[in-house]
Amino acid sequence: MLTRPNPSVVIFFLILLAVLVALPLVAGTYPVKLMTRVIILATFVLSLDLLIGITGLVSFGHGAFFGCGAYAVYFVSPESEAANVFVALGAGVALGGAAAFVVGAFATLTRGFYFIMVTLAAGQMMFSLFHDTDIAKGSDGAFVNVKPELTFYGASLLDFSDWRQFYYVCLLALVAAYFVLFGLVRSPFGRVLQGIRANEVRMSALGYDTYRYKLAAFTVAGMLAGLAGALFASIDGFVTPELFNWHQSGLAIMMVVLGGAGTLYGPIIGAFAYAMLEEVLKSASIVGPLIADHWRLGTGLTLVVAVLMSPEGLAGFLSWKRPRVIGDPSGAPPGQNISSRPLRLAKALLTSGLSKNFDGLRAISDISTVFEANKVHAIIGPNGAGKTTFINLLSGAIKATAGQVLIDDQDVTGWPAHRIARAGLGRSFQLTNIFPRFSVRENCALAAQTHKASLWRLRDRPYQAPEARAIDRALSVAGLTERGSSVAGRMSNGEQRQLEIAMLIASGADLLVLDEPLAGMGPEETQRVVSLLRDLVRDHTIILIEHDMDAVFAVADTLTVLVQGKLLAQGSPDEIRADRAVLEAYLGRQAEVGAVA
Amino acid sequence: MSLIFIQLLNGLQSGLLIFLAASGLTLVFGILGVINLSHGSFYMLGAYLALTLTGIFGDVFLALAFGIPLAFLCGFLIEFLFIRHLYNRDHLQQVLLTFALILIFNEFQQVVWGSYPHAIPAPSYLADSVRLTEGLSYPVYRLALMAICLALALAMGLVIQKTRVGRLIRAAESNREMVEVLGFDSRMIFRLVFAAGTALAVTAGMLAAPIESAYPGVGDRVLILSFVIVVIGGIGSIRGAFIGSLLIGLADAFGKVFMPQFSSVMIYALMALVLVMRPTGLFGRT
Repeated sequence: MLTRPNPSVVIFFLILLAVLVALPLVAGTYPVKLMTRVIILATFVLSLDLLIGITGLVSFGHGAFFGCGAYAVYFVSPESEAANVFVALGAGVALGGAAAFVVGAFATLTRGFYFIMVTLAAGQMMFSLFHDTDIAKGSDGAFVNVKPELTFYGASLLDFSDWRQFYYVCLLALVAAYFVLFGLVRSPFGRVLQGIRANEVRMSALGYDTYRYKLAAFTVAGMLAGLAGALFASIDGFVTPELFNWHQSGLAIMMVVLGGAGTLYGPIIGAFAYAMLEEVLKSASIVGPLIADHWRLGTGLTLVVAVLMSPEGLAGFLSWKRPRVIGDPSGAPPGQNISSRPLRLAKALLTSGLSKNFDGLRAISDISTVFEANKVHAIIGPNGAGKTTFINLLSGAIKATAGQVLIDDQDVTGWPAHRIARAGLGRSFQLTNIFPRFSVRENCALAAQTHKASLWRLRDRPYQAPEARAIDRALSVAGLTERGSSVAGRMSNGEQRQLEIAMLIASGADLLVLDEPLAGMGPEETQRVVSLLRDLVRDHTIILIEHDMDAVFAVADTLTVLVQGKLLAQGSPDEIRADRAVLEAYLGRQAEVGAVA
Repeated sequence: MSLIFIQLLNGLQSGLLIFLAASGLTLVFGILGVINLSHGSFYMLGAYLALTLTGIFGDVFLALAFGIPLAFLCGFLIEFLFIRHLYNRDHLQQVLLTFALILIFNEFQQVVWGSYPHAIPAPSYLADSVRLTEGLSYPVYRLALMAICLALALAMGLVIQKTRVGRLIRAAESNREMVEVLGFDSRMIFRLVFAAGTALAVTAGMLAAPIESAYPGVGDRVLILSFVIVVIGGIGSIRGAFIGSLLIGLADAFGKVFMPQFSSVMIYALMALVLVMRPTGLFGRT
């Protein structure tokens, strides 16, 4: 989670800000103009950090939105008059945001390598659009003849052609952009973005429509880049297609990482550091003519060293080493408050004729079954029986080839995972799937937030009380009350499993689908989770896959046996134990193996 | 009519040429898992190597005979110095480090060869044009180029499908861990594959030099197009790269004639279309 910058960072930036404010009073045109460039660059790079560092989207086409912002100023500027400052900057924000929205609508459908490539291609597409056509004077670039002004009944309030005024406008824009982004990232909305970066699958399983969140982040970043571009166009009053070029985007990524991605202030340091490095390497009086002639070589080598040596970026030097918080290792036993919780009717789940083919291979064929409410249902079967595929079908992780899934009376067949999650089905994964860098409470807060998740929820306060109750309740049911502030990734495997269940409870899910909740646990931990599950069915329905047969027979009300993708038997533990077909197909085989071993 | 025929030939020729570069890229990404932005720089290096070596030996093909081993060596070295640190690192760092390599190679090129474009002569025995039909002639070198690229593509297919090394490469592509468990030194396979990828890009650059000449940034376009092709064809798929290259080559050639201002836009639109229909490319694993 993004935290407040620590004191050393704050002091560093206060000094930097004081120097920047004082600069035009003591320095001449050249240093001020140079700094204006750097400040604009920093604003641009800052907007990219929202994507790379916060949301985990490596966009290689961010320069395109910067270019859009710059060209917007050209489009709204009359031939021989000045455009209004607000119109010019507003146009930059609007065009940058609009372009980002369109590109993002496609790009955020993809992940990883494909995302990088799609954004790269989109940037190049806009580059060639402005380079090859005569939309704005083609490859030669175009001039904004008169820079934007703000006049009020003839009196000039703000004039971008005055280099001092313009400098302060840019500085103000950077400071404002930082605080706006900081607030955004710390808001519930921003928490979701950070959750997506940490673990997108989990966020989707919690009920978030991650596509819309990513698209919103992409658009906001595009708007801010557009603002930076609009300011950039006002420096020299010249715009060129080169602004869109992928080298620009590459340099921006470099500055984000050089400074330290995901901190927001890091990229600002990165932009300043890069500009200083370039300026020093270029000036023959400092490094000698030989290096000054080939300053790019120096930049490249510095970058190589930076990547290989310090993955944390420059911001890493500024942060204090925080003491490790080692929590109380003894979790309170769960289920201690059985009597305090009322019974509640949970949801039931029904499948009919559910089938799934993978390239002609029948992984699941024609399963019709009912999982009644407020019971623990265990799904068992030999390896490769299709158990995980089956619950993936239930949770919407994969789409069924045929058949239906109903939650109570609602047909959820074919719904995307996040919608099914909101219909009340929460699932855990075979491998522990939490947000390791978030604290236990923050993990649950992310889950609780899904209740009324809306894209535009930027403030915590109105929801705090009910959510805090949901979180407290979930932690106490799961026996993690004492561990709220522990960092999730540092807890034991068993506790992480408990946390997963707590997250599901906090999300308000009625129907819990658990994939091997006992995997990798010692006997004591197993005992703890078994009694937790028995307690939970008072107000939940539980469907689980498990290999530990002793635990299964202890915890389950019904057993469903899958063999080779088919439903072999379903019934109470006693019925299943007595079922000859099951014994032959499954238990018998296991008994044989046991006898040999 | 003859215009269409000429553009068909041009499209096939540029498609086959770019296939050499794209296949190197898809191999490196599919097997090493590294996004190599400096691939375009190898193409550029190839063009300039052709300039220097043709100056020495007087013939592009002789230059090629010396250039390819040199490229192989160069790839070996770069893998050892830089790329091997990137395995298992995230995409962001791969993008950054290889981007830094671009800056370094560009400067290297400036220092050694300067910023003026240079023409490279085609071999004198291939300098003529051949009459294909009435009123339609085509440079012989371009035809020879197509034949060479096709032969190389075939040879590559044979090596990958039929030989022991090829089987190892295919195995490493589908399951890296397993290959190591079986006792093969995957580091050596990786180094070999990266060197081969480099050699392919350099070969493409050298072969193209007599047509496009050598100038700074000649590899940029090739890099972006190669990435588009890898995305269209599916990561790691040589067959996909082949189909994708021909598609892009033809789309570009015909786009230049029928809507010259939008030919580049069309290529990216083609990629977007493929991604929407098949998110993992034409021949990618789902």
